[in-house]
Amino acid sequence: MTALAAKFEQVWKAYPRWLSGRRSVRSILSPRMRAAGLRSGSRWALQDVSFEVRDGEAVGLIGENGAGKSTLLRLSSGLGHLTRGRILVARDVASVLSLGATLNPDLTGRENTLTTTLLSGVRSAEADRVVADSLAFAELEEFADSPVRSYSDGMKLRLSFGVVAQLHPGLLLLDEVIAVGDMRFREKCMARIEELRRSGTSLLFASHDLDEVAKQCDRALWLEEGKVRRAGEAAEVVDAYRDAMHAETFERTPEPLGQGEGGLVLRENRFGSQEVKIEGVEVRGSASEGVVEPDGTLSVDLRLRRDGSSIENPVVGVSIYRLGDDVNCCDASTDVDDVLLGELAGELSIRFRWEGVELLPGEYVIDVGVYEAGWSFAYDYHWHAYPLKVAGYDGSKAVFRPQKRRWTIERPSR
Amino acid sequence: MGQAPTDRLVAPGTETLSPSLFKELSLHLVKREIDATHRMTVLGWAWPLVRQLVQLAVLVFIFGSVLDLGIDNFPVFVFSGLIAWTWFAAGCGAATASLLEQRHLLVQPRLPPAVLPIVAIVVPLVDVLMALPVLVVLLQVEGGIPATALLIPVLVIAQLLLMSGIAWLTAAGAVFLRDVPNIVAVGLNVLFYLTPVFYGLHTIPQKYAGLLKLNPMATIVSSYRAILLGQPLPGAFAICFSVVISLALLAVGYLTFTRVQNRFVDSL
Repeated sequence: MTALAAKFEQVWKAYPRWLSGRRSVRSILSPRMRAAGLRSGSRWALQDVSFEVRDGEAVGLIGENGAGKSTLLRLSSGLGHLTRGRILVARDVASVLSLGATLNPDLTGRENTLTTTLLSGVRSAEADRVVADSLAFAELEEFADSPVRSYSDGMKLRLSFGVVAQLHPGLLLLDEVIAVGDMRFREKCMARIEELRRSGTSLLFASHDLDEVAKQCDRALWLEEGKVRRAGEAAEVVDAYRDAMHAETFERTPEPLGQGEGGLVLRENRFGSQEVKIEGVEVRGSASEGVVEPDGTLSVDLRLRRDGSSIENPVVGVSIYRLGDDVNCCDASTDVDDVLLGELAGELSIRFRWEGVELLPGEYVIDVGVYEAGWSFAYDYHWHAYPLKVAGYDGSKAVFRPQKRRWTIERPSR
Repeated sequence: MGQAPTDRLVAPGTETLSPSLFKELSLHLVKREIDATHRMTVLGWAWPLVRQLVQLAVLVFIFGSVLDLGIDNFPVFVFSGLIAWTWFAAGCGAATASLLEQRHLLVQPRLPPAVLPIVAIVVPLVDVLMALPVLVVLLQVEGGIPATALLIPVLVIAQLLLMSGIAWLTAAGAVFLRDVPNIVAVGLNVLFYLTPVFYGLHTIPQKYAGLLKLNPMATIVSSYRAILLGQPLPGAFAICFSVVISLALLAVGYLTFTRVQNRFVDSL
């Protein structure tokens, strides 16, 4: 039997509704009222979740927003109480959960770090050294003595991660917070996590980035409305999740009504619930409309429209396929690049810009899409709808030619 | 058989800090609270002293000159009571708000939440100690410091125990019912007049003096005066009653607090 780093046994977690709304004195004082409130109005955040994280394993948590990923991580770190079931975790568990929630905005970065360090079980004799190392890892020495209220989200994340980077936890819990860091710091975090993993740390982390889960994790747990939809090998679960997303998107696509706009026909080359619409797409190349020179600049402008109440953080994606063999040459999304769209209501324009297009000359086609924040389905997806031509001629069958290329010839000197 | 795979696993949140680490952490939290409250003010550390001296001046003016209560050495009499009361009122108020205002500490997985209300009552004690030199000077002027003043730590500990029980109850209550801070504010307001801060137990009608014996703070304030100013000690009944009440509050407060503490995070 392999050793475990965490074990979830039939975990149920309810949030009573009255916690958020108005409460009467009676509902507080009378146990019967409280039980009734729990029965009638409770929202199950987790239902019957059973799962194990083996020692040294990395497990990804995927699912829509509100599927219970954060709740599971919070409970695992000891915050809140289970309604039913049992959770066991390694003694030396460390976590980076909600952003900045553990920081006192009035105190400086250094002071907050000291508190977190002591709470992580570091003796005060060593604490000063650990704090200094944490701040150095977070690259925040310059701001160490400014109050945390003046920090950006990215800086808060760096501060929170800085301490964890100095520990050697048996189990590390990571919420999606890590996505707010800039690319470079994120790489640094991932490298540190990789080091920790090599030294035996198990990892349980929630992510929207399906590619990352498939790449970094041994196994994945897919939560849907608080239940385990699927658990298993990471790549398999991610594939199943993507398939479900495509099925869900198709299901939500309304029946076409007459002729579509601009050559787009619902359920043929346009999919999605249409809760957000991509109303206009312009593909501009450095040469002319829809044509880009090799190493030139491509920009794809999208005009989004949302009627009615606002939708939070939709994800926009742009993909390029090569005509003929349909090779996916480029797959960019705001989610993977950590761009947040915020609340969307009314119109929004967004531009994807690629300087120095390294694609080889030829004919391509562009897909654009806007998705639900957790990638669970598309609001609107235009399939192979926008042609792109890379000018020039090249007989090669390769996908791209590196832009910064150089040949160096060395002859043996006499 | 071999080793069961769950041996090194524990329920989350049950892994607590070692006693020595806990001590270091508590000291750190007190220090950081004190730092935080006095930051961004020009007077900084002088503020608690200024507040107490202004209140002293008002009380001395009103009840020493305007409505003369006829108490000897009135300034030092009031001040000795005021210091104890200020600590009590500031501590209970801060403790009630401690969990609501320190959500960021409550969501730190390893922090034992019961430490937060205690930190909240220790911080104003430090503020109150700032006023101690003033009291010493006043006592010297009025005729010296008696040897019984060495008993002060005993009273401080007694008051700390009383306040701890109240602090745990009100802090936990405030999480679930946001009316609690208001109730505490009203209660402190009433209790200020029911505690002999600017009057003495011997200066009020006998029938009410009996009622005040049920107020542990009245007993504590009178005891401070007994050891500092040579006033009569409160009666044996009042002292025993206060001790019993304090210990009962302490036990009920702690048990209640630890019983509901795993619900705090979901309710904030």
